[in-house]
Amino acid sequence: MNAPRLVIIEGVRTPFSKMGSDLARLGPEELGRIAVSALLTKTGLNPALIDEVIFGCVGQPADAANVARVIALRAGIPEHVPAFTVHRNCASGCEAVTQAYEKMLAGRGEIFVVGGTESMSQVPLLYTHQAAAKFARLARAKSIGQKLGAMLSFRPSDFKPRIGLQLGLTDPVCGLNMGDTAEILAREHGVTREKQDAFALESHARAIAAREKLEEEICPIYPPYTKAVMTNDNGPRKEQSIEALTKLKPVFDRKNGTVTAGNSSQITDGAVALLVMSEMKAAELGMTPIGAMTGYAYAGCDPQRMGLGPVYAIAEAERRTGLTLDHADVVEINEAFAAQVIACLACLKSDEFAQKHLKREHHVGKVPKDVLNVNGGAIALGHPVGATGARLILTSLKELNRREGKRALISLCVGGGQGAAIWLERN
Amino acid sequence: MTTSQTPALKIVPRTDPVMEATNMIHDMPELIRRHVTDDQVCVLTFDRPDSAANIFDKAALMELSDHINYVMCNSDLKGVVLTSAKKSIFIAGADLTQLSKARTPEELRDMIELGQVVFNRLSTIGIPTVAAIHGACVGGGYEVCLACDYRLASPDKATKIGLPETQLGIVPAWGGSTRLPRLIGLSKALDIILGGKTLAAKPALKCGMIDEIVPREYLVEKACQLILWRGTKLRVRPTRLAHTIMKLGPVMNFITKKVQRQLQQKTRGHYPAIPKALEVVTQGLTKSLEASLLLERDAILELGTTEACKNLIRIFFLQERAKKLSGFAADTTTETKVSPVKRITVVGAGIMGGGIAQWASSRDIPVILRDINHDAIAKGLAGIAKIYEQAVKRHALTKVEARAGMDRVSPSAVDVPLHSADVIIEAAVEKMDLKKQLFARLDELAGPNTILASNTSALSISEIATATKHPERVIGIHFFNPVHRMQLVEVVVGRQTSPEVVRRAVKFVQQIGKLPVVVRDAPGFLVNRILMPYLIEAGHLFENGARVEDIDESMLEFGMPMGPLRLIDEVGVDVSNHVAADLASKFSDRMHCPEVLSKMIADQLLGKKSGKGFYLHSKKGKEPVVNMRIDKYHSGTSCAKLTRDELRTRMVLLMINESARCLEGGIVDEAADVDFGMIMGTGFAPFLGGPLRFADNVGLSLVVAEMKRLADEEPRFTPCNLLQTLAGTGQTFYKS
Repeated sequence: MNAPRLVIIEGVRTPFSKMGSDLARLGPEELGRIAVSALLTKTGLNPALIDEVIFGCVGQPADAANVARVIALRAGIPEHVPAFTVHRNCASGCEAVTQAYEKMLAGRGEIFVVGGTESMSQVPLLYTHQAAAKFARLARAKSIGQKLGAMLSFRPSDFKPRIGLQLGLTDPVCGLNMGDTAEILAREHGVTREKQDAFALESHARAIAAREKLEEEICPIYPPYTKAVMTNDNGPRKEQSIEALTKLKPVFDRKNGTVTAGNSSQITDGAVALLVMSEMKAAELGMTPIGAMTGYAYAGCDPQRMGLGPVYAIAEAERRTGLTLDHADVVEINEAFAAQVIACLACLKSDEFAQKHLKREHHVGKVPKDVLNVNGGAIALGHPVGATGARLILTSLKELNRREGKRALISLCVGGGQGAAIWLERN
Repeated sequence: MTTSQTPALKIVPRTDPVMEATNMIHDMPELIRRHVTDDQVCVLTFDRPDSAANIFDKAALMELSDHINYVMCNSDLKGVVLTSAKKSIFIAGADLTQLSKARTPEELRDMIELGQVVFNRLSTIGIPTVAAIHGACVGGGYEVCLACDYRLASPDKATKIGLPETQLGIVPAWGGSTRLPRLIGLSKALDIILGGKTLAAKPALKCGMIDEIVPREYLVEKACQLILWRGTKLRVRPTRLAHTIMKLGPVMNFITKKVQRQLQQKTRGHYPAIPKALEVVTQGLTKSLEASLLLERDAILELGTTEACKNLIRIFFLQERAKKLSGFAADTTTETKVSPVKRITVVGAGIMGGGIAQWASSRDIPVILRDINHDAIAKGLAGIAKIYEQAVKRHALTKVEARAGMDRVSPSAVDVPLHSADVIIEAAVEKMDLKKQLFARLDELAGPNTILASNTSALSISEIATATKHPERVIGIHFFNPVHRMQLVEVVVGRQTSPEVVRRAVKFVQQIGKLPVVVRDAPGFLVNRILMPYLIEAGHLFENGARVEDIDESMLEFGMPMGPLRLIDEVGVDVSNHVAADLASKFSDRMHCPEVLSKMIADQLLGKKSGKGFYLHSKKGKEPVVNMRIDKYHSGTSCAKLTRDELRTRMVLLMINESARCLEGGIVDEAADVDFGMIMGTGFAPFLGGPLRFADNVGLSLVVAEMKRLADEEPRFTPCNLLQTLAGTGQTFYKS
């Protein structure tokens, strides 16, 4: 098995910032621009050498269509370098990297700037179709009578916006909100409120403990882009207590639910940029990578149980690469919901689940606690949907280097019923 | 030939026996090409061979006159279009070399009258005339457009339209002062002419200086169409009520009085061209066109012979020289092609570092802004953003351009690879140890071809260079504060700096639209070296009893843009003291830093930044007023009785002396470098031509005599050897 590897030279991300807080003023194009700019500065790469720029973004901005191209040009990457934007929901940041991998394998380029960006603060409010039709009629109206008529057709309900963020977090096929899918997993796999809250507390504690480590991968954001210099994520709570978590009301199933804002990922703004290239190119340029990508898999599953996506994807990646969970010195499973990660861990080690859903005899494997999300996860750091996949790659590779380990596995559940898994290794 | 169809507008050059004959007669290269279209429109394309610019010299005027003859002899022609084949210049005005070299008033008068006559003939040619403007269209270039019936201009950045004559100490005299107020009304015309303004296409359209904006590619086509479709209607301009009202006696009086008052405040009578232009424009408007043109002519004849005008034109030439400079004038090594700078790094995000980063980024150059701490970067970036915001407010940049500029500045608080930077400019704290450490490190991080530059205003470049393995690539690139407003940059050549690095640094300075002066490495370089004795003297005079008002007012009367004590406040009392003390320690024979500055610093009187210094500075753009309590810092009375003239004499003499010393010590090669540096770097009264030109005009023997008289009591006034020698042998700094 000696497939060519895509090496990751370096990565940079903006601080992750809770929706509506420090970075709320910056759109996804600005966040991405800052990350790419910082990446180019940090690596010293001549941007004219880049073959393509690929960025993941879920809530793509209406005023910066093909946001990857906007980011590339604004970060000073020359016009001749093409760029495109990818969307695989929560795995969009992974998709950008795996696209680069595929392109490299196909001989369509050797140096890529990839990443993900998301401003969940700036996901717009929308008008209903009904209201939009009325606006269109008004715009077309010529005579005063027509205009008056068009105006009079409006009803107060027409002005009630549809919240883009809410729509985005609702599965249009099964009709469930992402939180509802987590409630299903909690019920079916017996993940109690206590277990979820304890998991959330641990995420915060680990993120707080890892503050300095995480700062290594962050490019500070300065005024005038922010009010004050921002050098780190603002999600992790030092004073987080189990009492406080326990007090929170369930958000999705208010009466019988267990999923709260405290044990779910935070809604966050942020961007990540990675410089990736073929191993040969890296050697030619004399650049030392922080790691390499060796294989990956996406897998589909039941949209109502999208949270189990990692289980499917990790199993599929094993089939493709032969690597099992035992091979991983660092594992990241994105913390969309505490319930969802805990359910994944349970299914991964269940023979029954393996036989029923994965068409295999034995369970996939176990993930030791001291390997999983060791620097905290999205519950503490936040989950800027389009960016997270790329962050997991960056964070896990940095940790792999710190631990001087061999391999890392990152995985995410994806809204709409998918999972993503990527195998990385240190040189 | 009338068809209802859209006329075909192919422009076909026609061989033309008359034209060929004309050329043979003049026996010189053609400056204006003539085509006649199939539809009988005569297109005159200004295209001076072997030049990027078109100008009006005698030959060009004569040639235009010949073309007018041709048009008048061809009754088939439907109209005339004036255009230019140059990339960024329509017509850059009159040939200033010819103007300034006119030896006799008659020569100047002939030139002026020739222009007036030719433009008059164009304006009465009998068929519609359209100017199709792309690129700089200034002075005589716009005056010829004013003689046309209709004006089109491209929206490109290169297109600049206006009458900058008063900035050169003259008035528009080829009909500009006469035709512009008739076209756009008195008050707008005064604004343009007295301000010597040039406008972009959009504002020019708004105030009526042009009639339409048309993309460059369609300019000539559109001009031809207009002639064919609208014909003689183009010649008729509706009378504008507002213009008529402004011509009424009382209204005109009111406008004139108001403008006069503003002028006096601004120019203190140092710029006679401006009040003269006011007189010509207002009086001309009440007279016939011919009479008004006579006024123009008389005015320029009067002004053209003044020293102020000559000096202003000289500065114009010195600026042009700086744009083309490639190193020391004496450096004749073969010139290698210098490729433009693609990216730079600025080390130090303070006011200067931030200013340099802002300016370079606004000139399309990506900048890494490096500092050691986050707060310094934050302050630097915020400062850069503010300059951009102001530029947007002033309409100097669009929002998109300003954002693109901001995008080009990439901050870093940690070491990053700098091998791709063509130039690294260090603008850190002025401490030799620190700079040496920094340069040693930069030497490692930089690529083999990177220029290592320091923005130091005081420290020795040669010494800084010793910290590196490649002293030949170390140079000073010294910007002035505020960077976005000061055009001058001192390129400081250290002992080991290679000529190639000098050339590249000069090219870089030009690339970002600044004006370089190349100086050798010595304390204070050129500008600060000459400025400091002046500021020190001001402090000394104050310390010994002279009043703040008298000191500053005396120099304002001299023509400085700001009094010396006010300047100390603006720069910061602490910074001034630091620089002055540093220089004084190196020239202790003649400079002693006055103690008053240290006393003020101890009392937190730091000037503008602390709100108090020699003046009280209020926050909101109000003029500062003299600090009433500053008197307690007087420690003597020996200068209390000096008149303003005496105060001024002392300060100016010291500047002249130090200027001469710079020349003597080979800091620069020519007197013109000193004068250029002082005018551009300190705002030294431009109409006086700079300290050395001024000394020449006053008479060097007089200067030396006055200095010797003062030196009897105060040895710092001892004239330097060069001054004494020149005065003794009856020579001057400039060879006439």
